Amino acid sequence: MSRTLLTGNGAAAWGARLAHADYIPAFPITPQTEIIETLAQWIDTGQMDSRLVTLESEHSMITAAGGAAATGVRVFSATSSQGLLYAMEMLYTVAGWRTPFVLVNVSRGLSAPITLEADHNDVMAARDCGFLQLHCATCQEVLDNTLIAYRLAEDERVRLPVIVNLDGFYLSFTREPVIIPDPQETTAFVGPFNPASIHFRASAPESQAVAVLGGAPYSYFRYELHLAAQNALSVYDEIRAEFRETFGRDYPAVDAYHAEDAELVFVMLGSFATKARAAVDQLREAGWSIGLVQPHLLRPFPEPLLQQLLAGKRGVAVIDQNLSMGKGGVLHTELAAALYGHPDAPPVLASFIGGLGGRDITAEEFFEIARVLRDAVSAGRAPLPRLLYTRDELLEIRKLQAVAHVERKELGKTT
Amino acid sequence: MYRIRFHGRGGQGMKTASRILGSAFFEAGYEVQDAPRYGAERRGAPIFAYVRAAREPINERGIIQHPDLVIVADDTLVPVPASGVLAGVSACTVLLINSTEAADVWQHRLNISGPIITLPVAAEVEDRADLPYIGATCAGAAAQLIGVIPQQALIHAIETELGGLGSAVVERNLENALAAYELVAPHHGLASEGAAPHAQDYERPDWADLPLETARISAPTIYAAANSIEVRTGLWRTLRPVIDYSRCNRCWWVCSTFCPDGAIAVSADGQPQIDYDHCKGCMVCVAQCPPHAIAAIPEHQAQAEESQLAGTTGDPP
Amino acid sequence: MTDTTTRFRRMKDLPSTHLLGTGTPMCAGCGGLEALHEIYDVLGEKTVFVNAAGCMTLLSVYPFTPFRGSWLYTAMASAPAGAQGIRDALDILREKKGLPPEEDLEVVVLTGDGAAYGMGLSATSGAMERDLDFIYICYDNEGYGNTGQQYSGATPHAARTATSKGAHGFAGYKKDLFSIWAAHRPAYVATVIGSEPLDLARKIETARSLKGPRMIISLAPCPTGWDYDPRDSVDIGKLAVKTGVWPLKEYRDGRVLHTKVPHERLPVEEYLKKQGRFAHLFEPERDETLLDELQAKVDVYWSSVELQGG
Repeated sequence: MSRTLLTGNGAAAWGARLAHADYIPAFPITPQTEIIETLAQWIDTGQMDSRLVTLESEHSMITAAGGAAATGVRVFSATSSQGLLYAMEMLYTVAGWRTPFVLVNVSRGLSAPITLEADHNDVMAARDCGFLQLHCATCQEVLDNTLIAYRLAEDERVRLPVIVNLDGFYLSFTREPVIIPDPQETTAFVGPFNPASIHFRASAPESQAVAVLGGAPYSYFRYELHLAAQNALSVYDEIRAEFRETFGRDYPAVDAYHAEDAELVFVMLGSFATKARAAVDQLREAGWSIGLVQPHLLRPFPEPLLQQLLAGKRGVAVIDQNLSMGKGGVLHTELAAALYGHPDAPPVLASFIGGLGGRDITAEEFFEIARVLRDAVSAGRAPLPRLLYTRDELLEIRKLQAVAHVERKELGKTT
Repeated sequence: MYRIRFHGRGGQGMKTASRILGSAFFEAGYEVQDAPRYGAERRGAPIFAYVRAAREPINERGIIQHPDLVIVADDTLVPVPASGVLAGVSACTVLLINSTEAADVWQHRLNISGPIITLPVAAEVEDRADLPYIGATCAGAAAQLIGVIPQQALIHAIETELGGLGSAVVERNLENALAAYELVAPHHGLASEGAAPHAQDYERPDWADLPLETARISAPTIYAAANSIEVRTGLWRTLRPVIDYSRCNRCWWVCSTFCPDGAIAVSADGQPQIDYDHCKGCMVCVAQCPPHAIAAIPEHQAQAEESQLAGTTGDPP
Repeated sequence: MTDTTTRFRRMKDLPSTHLLGTGTPMCAGCGGLEALHEIYDVLGEKTVFVNAAGCMTLLSVYPFTPFRGSWLYTAMASAPAGAQGIRDALDILREKKGLPPEEDLEVVVLTGDGAAYGMGLSATSGAMERDLDFIYICYDNEGYGNTGQQYSGATPHAARTATSKGAHGFAGYKKDLFSIWAAHRPAYVATVIGSEPLDLARKIETARSLKGPRMIISLAPCPTGWDYDPRDSVDIGKLAVKTGVWPLKEYRDGRVLHTKVPHERLPVEEYLKKQGRFAHLFEPERDETLLDELQAKVDVYWSSVELQGG
């Protein structure tokens, strides 16, 4: 075991190395590329016994990943943003094959306009495909969750691919102290890949991923996939407990920080949740009864745990780093569905959209969200959804629009 | 928590600086977060990197808004607004500038009340993009100004971060870092830990409601041609090509043809003219000029001469 | 020319019992299925077929498969990438996990022309550039057959399809996929057709004997898409060769060889007039301009072949 400074990308590469991934289909994309560069270097210098192949697209990369997993080897891959979307057809497809492997996604905003910096719209777009999703808030979690993800993916009660998500820049390029566990312990924890029925062999012909005709058999296969994904919730808890006992670090499906006795709660995913944690500390110091609820697992959606943790709260502010066009924040929507009709559901469920395309969320904004939430609780009604965007930022875009020769008379007025 | 920002140009090793300081903090028993800020990470263009360090786990993330210490590897960046050197600098912020000019000159010029210290490393080199070991130098000075990093931790950090480049490189970086460490020793511990923002008394964000606007203006479309000339990429330049017209033989404008940026215009009589607002200082023209009529002059020197001629001091070109 | 050591010297050397299972949903008279079963007899059951979306995706519909070996359906664009994953995984299993050689499989991509000429071309190019050890079989019925025969990158000039129903049929020209593939300098490229089973068997035998990318295009006469009586499938295939419309050739070691040169070429219209998709060239009156153009294209091709010495 050693504690060292690692970027989120470095931690992801360590996860793949400690899990003894046999095969790494790859394709470069910012801000993920450092992961495959690191793995390629380890393979080239003999530090890792694996095969890395660069495909000609992410669509092909995921096809090769699924093909190799379907043949019975342990597969790791990584992508981001446009790459994840380019692979989208195959994400659905290989999940339907029921092939277990781990895909690290380094979250980055989606085009258009094309950008390099982080938000969660890419990984949210993949939420219905059958991949399970683990969301990381620190570089340590990236390494640990990659190990956990292999256990979860390969468990015969689940057998589905898993996405481990980390935020571009805020984790991918940021170094933090990370414990690299003892390889003997990680090898024992992850265990060898037992492909069981997953193989292509001359002596045992198999036709995998065949077509169906008719809705009834189709419904069966698809719903079974859904049940397997849901089943991953209890399997995850077992694996998490074993991980905690072995390594002393705990990743509950939903993390609660000062949430038990809080009247108000922030709900957030990913690395910015640590900023919410810092804000909770400051607010508590100032006398606020506030906490943070932070899902690690987005798929399967840990509904019972969220219902339990949010029961009896007076107000909840969901801060989404994503935007479903024409609807709003995805996590807010999913949480509303989970809480609807629940006897102790919080009366105020407020929606905030922030951190799109790498836009920061400042400490002051967390304080202000708390204030807006408290006022809404007093007034007894949820506030309108709010984009975290300041008047100065609007003035700044007005300047850019002037350069782009947008005519002033067409511009709207802010309220 | 310590919050430190390094500012430099692409190629000057600000990522290395942040990593050396991060490792040194870590070595000294601190929790650490260090990161470069990528973007236009082109040689010569302004970039920055940052380090947070604390005794407790760090929950803050992203760009440092209120730095305790700002280190500037290249003083020509200070007056460039796009470099953001002075963003969030308050009376509590220590400013370390690598500059041939004295601290009180900067104090007066920038009109800020916080302490300014200069590090006269820049004097030795012509091309600021090639400031040797400047990353290690900046990290060494920063370690001393922070005051909680023992020399041994700094040495170990440099060995850790640069060990892969061979012992000769490590040796030279160590020399420079330790020299800087010694040089600012009188200011030991000058930079102190900043406080966390207060939830009781904070500046409320001035949120705006976005108005609905037509697609014509709210789509990312530019209704203009070649307006990129408004971007002054001349600020990236650390070397300036200067044409000696007595040697220029009015050839088939080799310099103008090969200039990747199209920043050399040719007059009707065949005389080339360099557009210094946009010349990035690549020196292709210097390399290609058949009669060797273009010389490379250090940009900071050229600017100093210009301001002397203009009778002012230190304003950007 | 294929090896003289071939076990397929005469028609009687062709297999009389067949590996590919009956009971598939392919159309009666399918020229693609005819080619596939001939190919399968030579390749054998120690194969895994990696399929892209097309007519033959329906070969394996749950719970039935005609394959005695294995099968994986991928998607329209990326079957060669699926083959990459399987081949690499088999290699890893052999090298690291002790998979015995007799358990190894030949990885075979099976796609229609829609995938091969269009959507899947990038993945195919990538697999060739990585020198993937696999066999690629394209059954080319010159249109998106499974969706009702819209024109594809493989559709010949003047053919009527569901999306080229005008007076002159398809305005574009069939893409030269053989040359595009050969430009990658893979181990082997060949054209085949089910109606020439001996030529086909020899080429598949050659492909089996080589390593690296081995690329096969089979013209696949299609009674449904080309609009002719299923009984004419083989005749139309033979006419495609005899008129010179479908040159049988192979690329190996940087050279292209024609394996069956129709020295007394029949007029192209003999091939065209048997197919409903070209009926507008003959009725209500002969479209001499188009017929001449189609004949001229074939003539130009073969005169260039003769110039290059075959």
